[in-house]
Amino acid sequence: MKICLLTYRGNPYCGGQGIYTMYIARELVRLGHEVHVIQGPPYFPPMEGVHIHYVSNHNYFNNKTNYIKPHKPFATLKPLNFYEFVASKLGIFPEIETFSFRAYFKLKELLKTHKFDVIHDNQSLGYGFLLIKNFGIPFISTIHHPLSIDRTTWFEYPSDFLLKIKRVLYYPLIMQGFVARRMDHILTVSHDAKIEIAKAFGVKPEKSIFRPLPGVKKKENSLIFVGNVEDRKKGVVYLLKALTLTRNKVHLTVVDGGAPNRRYVTKWIDNFGINDRVHFTGKIPGEKLIELYSQHQIAVSPSLYEGFGFPAAEAMACELPLISSDGGALPEVVGEHMKTGYVVKSRDPYALAEAIDFFIDNPGIREKMGKAARKRILEVFTWENAAREMEEMYKGVIDAHS
Amino acid sequence: MPRAKIWGFLAVLLSAALFGLSIFSIFVLNYRDFTIFNAVNLNELSTMTFYAVSIPLAAVAVFVLCTGFWIGWIILTIKVVPPMPEIVEKKDNSKIKAVFLCLITASLAALIIYGVYVRSFWALAVPALVISAVVLGAVFWVGMAIITTRSTLIPNKK
Repeated sequence: MKICLLTYRGNPYCGGQGIYTMYIARELVRLGHEVHVIQGPPYFPPMEGVHIHYVSNHNYFNNKTNYIKPHKPFATLKPLNFYEFVASKLGIFPEIETFSFRAYFKLKELLKTHKFDVIHDNQSLGYGFLLIKNFGIPFISTIHHPLSIDRTTWFEYPSDFLLKIKRVLYYPLIMQGFVARRMDHILTVSHDAKIEIAKAFGVKPEKSIFRPLPGVKKKENSLIFVGNVEDRKKGVVYLLKALTLTRNKVHLTVVDGGAPNRRYVTKWIDNFGINDRVHFTGKIPGEKLIELYSQHQIAVSPSLYEGFGFPAAEAMACELPLISSDGGALPEVVGEHMKTGYVVKSRDPYALAEAIDFFIDNPGIREKMGKAARKRILEVFTWENAAREMEEMYKGVIDAHS
Repeated sequence: MPRAKIWGFLAVLLSAALFGLSIFSIFVLNYRDFTIFNAVNLNELSTMTFYAVSIPLAAVAVFVLCTGFWIGWIILTIKVVPPMPEIVEKKDNSKIKAVFLCLITASLAALIIYGVYVRSFWALAVPALVISAVVLGAVFWVGMAIITTRSTLIPNKK
């Protein structure tokens, strides 16, 4: 099969889209398919056998000042860029929508030389996809989780009226809903739907990137949290509060590659008086992350909702005992409570503190649970399974389409 | 001066001039000689001509106002778990503001539709001015950015 994958962000370290697309592309190539990827920045690196096509953007939403490129000063005045610029200034997040149109133009160009059997989008669902539909190629999309969850969890935190207006404008829920209803097939990862793809995130046993590093000394009473601290559904505030409630004095390392600006979390750390116990690494490469996992005793995933939760699976694959909330699909990833991980109720800092103390006080259980966690990840979640299931689904959609 | 900067200056001047002209023609000109304003009798236009102009303008204006109403409605009706007391710094009165946002946007939308119905000049002029302001403002902004961006490229002397 000739497959074209679309992802508006190819970031291989943070955010599910890039990771998902990268591993699925790799496995589909291994299954003998010709795979093309149209990706927006940040890009994942070139991969053997995968044809990567780059779609740029000026990132007007995050780039507030240096958006004029000296070698292309008028690029902002091009229609699509200009729309993106104006929309960004009005507080709308237009990257997904403009990616969909740019992907359309790129596909139009590619279709002169390639004939794709199926096009697979990864949670973009922009209006431009309605044009792609006109190519007459089976078109499916993966939705990791509905963005309405992001919006709701964001509203759980105190903010002013203007900020709330911005957040309502930020999430393109109407567009995604409109486009999703017009796709040939939708893959989702959720409790209710129980779609098989939910099982597919994770790492392949023998080719696992995330693994325990031998001989690395663990820091005493150390916790690690991986995720964008400014993403309110990650529930980091409950973890920070939990740090004030533990009997043991624990130190937290925060790997927050997805947060260009920390606005709230630093304020909360001040409020809780735990400045000396929280350390931020900023953006780090994958290998460094594995090293950090190996240096810590406990991983924590306090999310209010996760479509899957890559950091949880990564930590487990690194033999770290995981304290996870029951938000979204996390219990599915963690498995059995007190066997392969410690599951607490989301939004409950007291339960988190209790779990942290439990692990600190019981090093034997910690080690045993870490090993069980890795075993579970290697047995249950493999990218190869995901790709095989996807291959079957592609065939089904193509048959239904023809 | 580099060519890009010249075009940047032109974008800034042109957008500022056009916006100034819009303001002048809509407000100042009419203020000084109100008969000119009165002379703008939209009833003299053919129905076809009037609606060809007014429907797109009103549609854009109503769409924007509906978006405002929708934002207010979402803030008003969204059900969330209350935040931890420790991180609450001040009382959140967003819901009261959201009620006002809904009322104001709904009233303005009704006013525009009524204005188009009675062929009011202002029902067309105000949305047109706002749309112009957004577009010209963005061009002005980009122009300013072009002017103020410092090139780090080595100039090609050839």
